[in-house]
Amino acid sequence: MAVSTAAFAQGRKGLYINEVMVQNDSSVVDDYGLHHSWIELYNSTHASMEISSVYLTNDSTKPTLYPVPLGDVNTEIPALQHVLFWADGEPNKGTFHVSFKIKPGETLYIFDSDQKTILDKVTIPADLAANTTFARKADGQGGMSQDAWEVRDGGDKYITPSSNNIIVDTNTKVESFRILDKNGIVLTLMAMAIVFTALLVLSLCFYAISKVGSLVSLLNKMRSHGVDPKTIAETENLAHDSGEEIAAIVMALHEHLNAHDQENTILTINKVKKAYSPWSSKIYGLREIPRR
Amino acid sequence: MEQSLSEFMAGNLETFWHMTGFYNATWEHFVMLAVGVFFLWLAIKKNFEPMLLVPIGFGILIGNIPFSAGMEVGIYEEGTVLNILYNGVSAGWYPPLVFLGIGAMTDFTALIANPKLMLVGAAAQFGIFGAYMVALALGFAPDQAGAIAIIGGADGPTAIFVSSKLAPNLMGAIAVSAYSYMALVPVIQPPLMRLFTTKKERLIKMKPARAVSQNEKIIFPIVGLLLTCFVVPTALPLLGMLFFGNLLRECGVTTRLAKTASNALTDIVTILLGMTVGASTQASEFLTIETIGIFFLGFMAFIIASSSGVLFVKLFNLVLPKDKKLNPLIGNAGVSAVPMSARISNNVGLEYDPSNYLLMHAMGPNVAGVIGSATAAGVLLAFLG
Repeated sequence: MAVSTAAFAQGRKGLYINEVMVQNDSSVVDDYGLHHSWIELYNSTHASMEISSVYLTNDSTKPTLYPVPLGDVNTEIPALQHVLFWADGEPNKGTFHVSFKIKPGETLYIFDSDQKTILDKVTIPADLAANTTFARKADGQGGMSQDAWEVRDGGDKYITPSSNNIIVDTNTKVESFRILDKNGIVLTLMAMAIVFTALLVLSLCFYAISKVGSLVSLLNKMRSHGVDPKTIAETENLAHDSGEEIAAIVMALHEHLNAHDQENTILTINKVKKAYSPWSSKIYGLREIPRR
Repeated sequence: MEQSLSEFMAGNLETFWHMTGFYNATWEHFVMLAVGVFFLWLAIKKNFEPMLLVPIGFGILIGNIPFSAGMEVGIYEEGTVLNILYNGVSAGWYPPLVFLGIGAMTDFTALIANPKLMLVGAAAQFGIFGAYMVALALGFAPDQAGAIAIIGGADGPTAIFVSSKLAPNLMGAIAVSAYSYMALVPVIQPPLMRLFTTKKERLIKMKPARAVSQNEKIIFPIVGLLLTCFVVPTALPLLGMLFFGNLLRECGVTTRLAKTASNALTDIVTILLGMTVGASTQASEFLTIETIGIFFLGFMAFIIASSSGVLFVKLFNLVLPKDKKLNPLIGNAGVSAVPMSARISNNVGLEYDPSNYLLMHAMGPNVAGVIGSATAAGVLLAFLG
């Protein structure tokens, strides 16, 4: 139970009171055709949210005044959508009729299922007139600050039960580009800069990684040769131990130790025309899955 | 009033007749069916991208069989079999699965060994944004222009992913255009490569790159994901799956998963993706003036992308030391048609010097192009989505 409560608590962040009407004489009606006060909640997350067992109240000392009932499929609010509760004090009318009535000047709360965490709260202005609402300026924005709210009278500022407080009829980003970047040059410059930056950073990163990798392999090689890593001259020798150099060293040692045996003294060094390279090897083909 | 048996039979036969394709056919259906047959001909007889054009071509046939609405068989009718399969396209989850397979198939060694080649892959993305400007000039809205321009990335799954978000109504034409031009890469690119390079430049021999350790190959997808997706999180579905697939391949302990991702899974998704994209090209959406514009813009995008890759290498050579010059013939490979455009670099290089094998060098910008086009897609979605 504790686990599920914790999970709910985490999942209900993003549930907000979005718009409130106290005196409803001519606005929207409920399922019974009656005008009542209403409270709009908004799911600001990008996933659907099940709100059963959260609490709505107008009294912080009674956080469990109206528990949203369990078992009603309609208490799952789709992503970025709204649900309307009727503050008529008649919970026997259904899930969305709360057990209290509201008045101007009161503070409304949503308590999470732990009965302690306040998910959202708003204080209704004491002078809120009939048929006006107190609504967030933008849906779900502004947290618990009263500054994020405004009074709406249904004129220029729409009253929007169960819908967005800001009505967007165009994609503002696309419209901005249409008006301000008619030729597409700005987007092109910005986008190419971003693509170049991303790949340049990746490129530099792999230069660094390859350098570090070479250094680590060199140090490992030095350790295996018992060489002090601080000896730079030795380091350079190890770093460039090409086949030709090794052959020359072996020849010199051979001469120095006078380790001659019965040989024909002919040394033939054939140039290998097709030197091995992983770049020409079939085992490094594009579809080869490497194995450890 | 009682019906006679003959009237009853005639009524039923009439109903049946009204359900047939012959009754519902229009000339547009026959045009689309001809397009489908043409794609099948291209794939089967001309061997142009058969793995894609056979499913798309047959999908066009499936999607353009005439029927009366309400029979619950159409791709746009909710809950039908085709509609359920089409969800992978409309909701955009087939392309990331294809990217998982691409990641599991792709060897990034060439790129890791010579990281500066990533910039060539970035430069070729100018094809996308150049085409965006041309599309705006032709009167397309910015979001439509972005969806069409992504054809320049030469990456079918990315084109489908972006167009499904920015301009779903144009997705069929965009997908068909993208795959058509990808099939035509061997025809489009070589003349441009010759046009923008001198004979001396085509003969540049690049040094074999260094060997890359297995650790570097394992680090690449992890660092690649973190760096690119922190810059463009909107590309996460594509780049996340690409790098995940590559890690499966390179880590050496998930060989079975890598094999499944690169073979069975990719094949299944390719079949479904191609078929449903083909089926979505219904005459009412496809046979429009806009489609002609999309095909024109797709062509422009490929030309700009290939040219900008080649020209960028020439520009880059101005600042590179003499012994580290790049052959500009690898510039065309900056588009992400893997590995076809790299093969073209190699073939054109061999025409001028039979000992100059550019394939592995061209694979660097080629796989960088995959990352670049997915990043560009993320940028378009961020700005216009």
